[in-house]
Amino acid sequence: MNQEPSTRIHKNAIKAWTVNTLLFGLLWFIPAAFYFGIAISHNIGKGTPWYNGVDWVLFSSLFLIALIIYIAIAAVMPKLRWQRWKYDVSDKEIDMLRGIIIKKRTLVPINRVQHVDTRQGPVYRKFKLASVTISTAATTHEIPALDNETADELRNTISTLVRKVEGDV
Amino acid sequence: MSEFRKQHPVAGVSQVIETIKQNFVTLIILLFIGTTNSEGYFLYFLAAGLGISFVGGIFGWWFFRFRIFEDELQIQKGIFVKKKVYLSKDRIQVIDITEGLLQRIFGLVKVEVKTAGGGTETATINAITRREAEELRAELRKKNNGEVHPEDIEKEEVDEDEVLSTWKLSTKDLVYAAFTSGNFGLIASILGAVSGQLNEMINEETLEYIYEMMPGYSDVTVYIALIIAIIVVSWLLSFLGVIFSYSDFQLQKTKDELIITRGLIERKHVTVPFDRIQAVRFVEGIIRQPFGYGMIYVESAGFDQTQKGRSIVLAPYIAKSNLSSFLEEFAAEYTEPEFEIRPSEKALFRYLRRPNYFLMLLIPVLWYLLTYGWVSLLVIPLVSFLGWLRYRDAAIGMVNDGILRIRYRTISRTTAIMKRKRIQNVGLSENPFQRRKNLKNLSITVASGSGGMEFEVKDLDHEKSLEVYHWIGNGKKIDPSLENEEDVEFND
Repeated sequence: MNQEPSTRIHKNAIKAWTVNTLLFGLLWFIPAAFYFGIAISHNIGKGTPWYNGVDWVLFSSLFLIALIIYIAIAAVMPKLRWQRWKYDVSDKEIDMLRGIIIKKRTLVPINRVQHVDTRQGPVYRKFKLASVTISTAATTHEIPALDNETADELRNTISTLVRKVEGDV
Repeated sequence: MSEFRKQHPVAGVSQVIETIKQNFVTLIILLFIGTTNSEGYFLYFLAAGLGISFVGGIFGWWFFRFRIFEDELQIQKGIFVKKKVYLSKDRIQVIDITEGLLQRIFGLVKVEVKTAGGGTETATINAITRREAEELRAELRKKNNGEVHPEDIEKEEVDEDEVLSTWKLSTKDLVYAAFTSGNFGLIASILGAVSGQLNEMINEETLEYIYEMMPGYSDVTVYIALIIAIIVVSWLLSFLGVIFSYSDFQLQKTKDELIITRGLIERKHVTVPFDRIQAVRFVEGIIRQPFGYGMIYVESAGFDQTQKGRSIVLAPYIAKSNLSSFLEEFAAEYTEPEFEIRPSEKALFRYLRRPNYFLMLLIPVLWYLLTYGWVSLLVIPLVSFLGWLRYRDAAIGMVNDGILRIRYRTISRTTAIMKRKRIQNVGLSENPFQRRKNLKNLSITVASGSGGMEFEVKDLDHEKSLEVYHWIGNGKKIDPSLENEEDVEFND
């Protein structure tokens, strides 16, 4: 009882999160793209070559910094996040452990659960994953990246448990 | 009451006032921009907005109808989109009759009918006469129309509405409460923002003018005077705020509910059913605590889904020595706190230094900007003292009867008492520095309104925090020496 939760989420989480990070990580390139856009827009209608006046050193350093952050985060974070993420569901409580730098553990008593959903975004669907969302009267918690069957099973388990201990708010 | 009725026409205007109230901040900002803007077209926007909401209010009143029909309160409203709200009698939990300023002028009241549960629907009738309201209330309170003998209904009704005990705030205590109300911190920050707006006015010339008026005063004294002025003004506002909100404060207890009536100009009326109470909080403001006084709140769930947190004041000013008897009378299950778990000594230094992090940024800036900026170094011992107070006050108590007590301080000291079964979740968190010392922050969330309220104690020992964590999960204390693994389970 006193141990940390032990059930891991699906290994595909790493891949799915990597894809997600790569998609959202494109935001890192905004400064470089923004600078480039401004620089070449000066040449519109002036007859000068389109690349005229672009400070290539500045541009490539912005681009490189973005690229390094982009790759570093995508390569490291999903793995670390997966390693930390563990959960357990017993007949009395849902216990979740997560957090890369700040380690967080949350316990939700079963009789406080109001509803359980499973959710699947486009990336999760590609990797046959789904997340389970647990809502109480005050907060919402998510167990991410379980494979479809486990997610459905977990949702059913929790909702059965909840029905057994039926309580008010 | 089976015919559809309309409200008093004042309802149309009250809607407009409600709109103004809700958008008060936006309006003030718009006014600011409007007056500083030379063309002033913002003012036209403002006028147009008010005009539209006025017309909307009138039409809203015109289309609003209500009646009681076959055990239901039926309301029809809406100008373009017609909305019908039907509330069945036995779903209705609370009927609040409130007198706003406007309603008082015309001798009217506002009636709010609230049901519980997920799809909460609040039906508000903005302006009807008090007699109508009482009729409506009596009618809605009658259960199972026609199926029970009239005598029984009478009897039940009396039982339910009978006032079992009453607590009032004396005028003397009201004045003390106003004097010691600590929330001028908030108002000071608002004033600070406003004075930012006034920055344009405080330019070189005016400053020079002030210097000439008061020879021998420097930069620093002007700033200090300004700070003192802001504190005094915000204290005054806070003083008036307390007088207005808590005049004639009265708390009544019936069989199932607590009923609070308060307010000088706007008489507010709030009903809290016992089974909706999530936690009781005793808050000792920094000025009140030395006198041994504080304020009692309850957290209540459900009803108004638009409100994120629903904290209701049970007692605006009460002596700590009376807390016990007060709780016994009005919230019997929430007994006075005892504590057994506190942060250990290895957390002390973390407590002392935590409030100083902010200063590490602030002091260099002040030092650089102001002539006597280094004076701000004097704040360090003060803030460290606050850290020490926080260390001393942080505590958790778990009691066999399934009650959890948690005490912590930000500026004021909060003691929260709640049932274990009402706790929505409990969280532990540790950053890498805490991990090295084997310490954890423990946070507990209860429901309040449609959201939650969180209580947190920082830097508890790993084992102690786990003890609380699991106790909340399954009600068992893991204290091998005393109670062994005995199943201490509680059901309502």
